[in-house]
Amino acid sequence: MLPMPKISITRLCSVLLCLLTLSSGAVLAAPPEGYKFLSLTAASEQASAANKPMLLYFGRYGCSTCRKMHAEVFSDAALNKQYNSEFVLAYVDTESGNRIRLANGETTTEMQFASRSRILGTPTFIFFSPEQKPLFKKAGFQSIEQMNHYGDFVAQGHYRTMSLQDYLASL
Amino acid sequence: MKFRVAALCLVLAALPAQATERWKFDTRLAVTGDPVSGVYPHLDGAGRKHIAVASQSVATTWEDNRSGTPQVYVARKTNDQDRFSAAMQVSDGGEAYEPAIASLPQNRFVLAWEQDGAIHARILSDSGLGTSAKLSSAASSHVSLASFGAQIFASWREQQDRLWFVKVAALSVTAAGKLGVESITSAEAIGLETQVLFPSIAVNDAGLCVAWEDRRAGHTRLLVSSSSDQAQSFGEPQHLNEFLSNRNQYDQGNGVTRVSLASFAQDEILAAWMDKRRGGLGYGIFAALGSDGGAIFGPNEKVHGEAGDKQPHYNPAVAGNSNGDFVVAWDDFRRGDSDIWLSAYNDDEEWSQDFSPAIASGAGEQSHPAVALDDQGRLHLLWMERGDMNAPGRLWYSRAMPR
Repeated sequence: MLPMPKISITRLCSVLLCLLTLSSGAVLAAPPEGYKFLSLTAASEQASAANKPMLLYFGRYGCSTCRKMHAEVFSDAALNKQYNSEFVLAYVDTESGNRIRLANGETTTEMQFASRSRILGTPTFIFFSPEQKPLFKKAGFQSIEQMNHYGDFVAQGHYRTMSLQDYLASL
Repeated sequence: MKFRVAALCLVLAALPAQATERWKFDTRLAVTGDPVSGVYPHLDGAGRKHIAVASQSVATTWEDNRSGTPQVYVARKTNDQDRFSAAMQVSDGGEAYEPAIASLPQNRFVLAWEQDGAIHARILSDSGLGTSAKLSSAASSHVSLASFGAQIFASWREQQDRLWFVKVAALSVTAAGKLGVESITSAEAIGLETQVLFPSIAVNDAGLCVAWEDRRAGHTRLLVSSSSDQAQSFGEPQHLNEFLSNRNQYDQGNGVTRVSLASFAQDEILAAWMDKRRGGLGYGIFAALGSDGGAIFGPNEKVHGEAGDKQPHYNPAVAGNSNGDFVVAWDDFRRGDSDIWLSAYNDDEEWSQDFSPAIASGAGEQSHPAVALDDQGRLHLLWMERGDMNAPGRLWYSRAMPR
């Protein structure tokens, strides 16, 4: 696994593991077309029920790098098939007021959730194991090849035996 | 050489002192009690108008789930009291969120909030809370308030038949002390298929203006529209934030969010917001000064100082008074945990160095400020404190005297 700031993984674990339900019908701002992105709560519930890994995509309405990835990366048919079939997909709009209800009873917004998670830029991707454990975070533009490798690393279970860094070096 | 180094150290040491001497803060007062397991207060309203100062008292409003569901509360104190009243529940529905408050003559306040998808408002006087009035007619949220003397204006977003509007209501207080609705107008007559978010409103002698997050361009821009006829009609919306990004074919402008407006002097408006023009560094705090009641705004100005240039900043709140004083407050975690930070113009009419009041910094997460400035130049600061970001929270207040 690539090194992540300690504070980030701690915060992500503590926030995401206590996430339970979204209270409002979230309007997804701008996830890529052709992908089965859900609200974070729906995705968390579905991933837990299906025992599947989850990709959490922090995006922003109008984000230029997000648009570039949508046009040049998420448009790839093989990548679409890989992520739609092997992952449950969650999207959070980092500027939205859509409300999120946490398991501890707290209700907050997607924007506040993103700031607590210290998401500095978009797109930011966080990959979760089927046990809903956050594995690693990637921020900024990612190529088709990189997204393929990240997907394989998680979906094929390589994360159980090696770090992402070691996995990428072994390819 | 030693003398030069010593002199430089003295100069550097003196700089933060100059900034912190603008106001002297009193001891903090608890607005809510000790943190309670499972109870989470929030200060997340549109324009962050959670504190207001009347002639003889200060009042604060927030949302928390102490009753088992999110509801809106208010607490107040007179100027000579050293503790706030017990929290009074303002909302009376299933769930309520994101309240706002503004002051009125005769030591009264007006409150507005979202309740079960609609906007409600009521008066708080020395005799307690008045009757609640429903302001909106369709699914609504993100309400903000402003007052000028006895004039009250509320803004919110409303969705009618899938189209989004920014609504502005002119309100009044009847002789019997009840809240009356004089008019409700859309800032733009034509609804949008794309969202509008978190409008903030300000009013002064020259007029009123409302600013909001607008997504019609395919990304978020801040728009501002003003009215000189007490919200009966509004001018064509103008762009508030400047567009600095144009890096490639996909780039239409940087992210901007959560604008806050306040009136200062006789006819001027301060706007501050979170602005992502710095790219991967996260949001900076940027501002613009408007004149003629917000009909015209000057260029965008970076509020935070160099020490915060490489850090993200959140939750900007603004305040001004009739004497021309104004201030911007926000939170950031440049020192590890989140602290409250303030900036105001210095004598050169430039944004001062950032300063963090000792009573609103240190261990734990100090965040989500709301501010008010009275006409004596005293700064009233409300903020949230949590042991960590997922811990139960509490609200604190402190008043600062100008130096």
